[in-house]
Amino acid sequence: MIRIAVYGKGGIGKSTTVSNVAAALAEMGLKVMQIGCDPKADSTILLRHGEAVPAVLDLYNEKKQALQLEDMIRIGYNGVICVEAGGPTPGLGCAGRGIITALEKLKELGAYDVYKPDVVLYDVLGDVVCGGFSMPMRGGYADKIFIITSGENMAIHAAANIAMAVENFKNRGYAGLGGLILNRRDVPREEEKVAELADDFHTAVIGTLSHSGQVALAEEQKKTLMECYPTGEMADEYRALAMQMYRICGGILEAKSDKVRSGYIQEEA
Amino acid sequence: MRQSYRMIPVYTADVSGVCSALYELGGMTVMHDPSGCNSTYNTHDEIRWYDQDSLIFISGLTEIDAIMGNDRKFIDDIEYAARELHPKFIALAGSPIPFMNGTDFPAIARVIETETGIPAFSVPTNGMNDYVYGAGIALEEIAKRFVREPDRQENRDPSSRTVNLLGVTPLDFGPQKNAETLKENLQKYGWQVMSVWAMGDDLKTLQRSAEADVNLVVSAVGLRVAKILWEKYKIPYVIGTPNDWLAEDISNALERAATRQAEPAVVYLQNRMQQEADITLVGEPVTMGSLAAGIEKRYGRAARVLCPLKECADLLGEKDKMVLGEEAMEEALKSAGIIVADPLYRPICPGDSIFYELPHVAFSGRIYF
Repeated sequence: MIRIAVYGKGGIGKSTTVSNVAAALAEMGLKVMQIGCDPKADSTILLRHGEAVPAVLDLYNEKKQALQLEDMIRIGYNGVICVEAGGPTPGLGCAGRGIITALEKLKELGAYDVYKPDVVLYDVLGDVVCGGFSMPMRGGYADKIFIITSGENMAIHAAANIAMAVENFKNRGYAGLGGLILNRRDVPREEEKVAELADDFHTAVIGTLSHSGQVALAEEQKKTLMECYPTGEMADEYRALAMQMYRICGGILEAKSDKVRSGYIQEEA
Repeated sequence: MRQSYRMIPVYTADVSGVCSALYELGGMTVMHDPSGCNSTYNTHDEIRWYDQDSLIFISGLTEIDAIMGNDRKFIDDIEYAARELHPKFIALAGSPIPFMNGTDFPAIARVIETETGIPAFSVPTNGMNDYVYGAGIALEEIAKRFVREPDRQENRDPSSRTVNLLGVTPLDFGPQKNAETLKENLQKYGWQVMSVWAMGDDLKTLQRSAEADVNLVVSAVGLRVAKILWEKYKIPYVIGTPNDWLAEDISNALERAATRQAEPAVVYLQNRMQQEADITLVGEPVTMGSLAAGIEKRYGRAARVLCPLKECADLLGEKDKMVLGEEAMEEALKSAGIIVADPLYRPICPGDSIFYELPHVAFSGRIYF
């Protein structure tokens, strides 16, 4: 099982990217679980055609010890297993502690053992603002962290903060940095700025996504781009990114898998 | 290891201080906590627990309630109980968990007060302060909310000698008989004690406190109330515990204060011996300071106080010292020849010192009571 956590500034396109990467990995024949780690509980909404997944914390709040694993699991596009940690009403409680409890509940109820995913994707709220949001990068959770950023200064600043947190935690046995993902907003010197950031943290830009109108159009249809426009160039960008992330985490792709043969993925020689 | 306690206990925490201060006033005190604060309070800190009823509650906060911020459940539980029990007020006291997730107690108190019509307030406790802070603020809230404007006569009777005792809880004074001794010691000098904050008197009695000529702060817990009653009703105050040896001096200071002839006086810090102390007292600054002053007066031997409680610096004299933590206290006691302290201090006192036991509920709990 390969476990990947994705961080990045709020609004940078984490959930959209993670959902499309999940769909792309599933297309390769992998069993994928996507876990939204955000109180908004909307990480997997595109994989579920706009239908909400009941959040772990809401269910726990309601059912207490009667909570069952199947209560919090929903299956989305391409068989992606969808989970949402959820959190308190804005302004109350403790969202960070909520992420910890939700992930512990999932583990306690055997989510990884029962569903046996090949890949688990943690889609984490904006920044590592408190201990709870570092939970997905702690020992026993993600193997690698990927940070999504554009060339906008605020996004780069947030990405630097996250990379700094990963750096600070390296002697704790936490997940290491897998690389940066550039989600283009077509701002000046975009590639150069993100490459500089990667240099500063001794990592690399492992994938680049174009600023495509198709992403928004797919979102309008409450679907992932992978489902709406599977033959477009953008879909191939997601496939390439998915493959790269998977490989960085030690995944080995079968070159002759069904989907590869179908021409969606151009395997490197 | 400066913050660790290996041999001696820590003092009663702020949450228990709130419960202790409000115990006899007919209100409902609710600790917002899973249960630890409750069991510490009733098994260690409260000597009245099995003999005298009081509406002390614990919310039974759960992990998921804390995460989700289920304030409504907390409010509903309190309102349900309040509608059955008709408390005179509702006091909310926080613990470490609501402190960490930023529970808005003043807002919750406002909601409860609006929905039940019962006066409600909160005390900003978090389990990380000592009882002086919690009990002091709890009584301060009572002073702010409940003490009535006095029906002052234009020409005050110059022979009137009425006083309130502020800061009397079992945490510092043990059982009720000790509070009675304080009253008797003042009555000997013609003082009529109008109210005792807050042992042996009910809320109705405390509400009339502003009619007194003067206030006497008998422990650090009472200082906040004294300041409020001075600000609101210009009742002067004096600081000191009227033990057998100091009651006369305190009576004189009360007289001067009642006729507005003096600034607030810390009686036990006046006319003290200048030489190095050969007797060391450990504990709450007003009670122990008054005892130190009494010892000097009675036996002519210099005494000092080592104070292990926070926020008490203004209540200490030149020879006295604030000492926080076991390691620092052990160090400070190394030079002490004669020590007066709670028996549980003995393990960190020099082996060749002479030790006089003076149990303090806020330190050793119910062991000696």
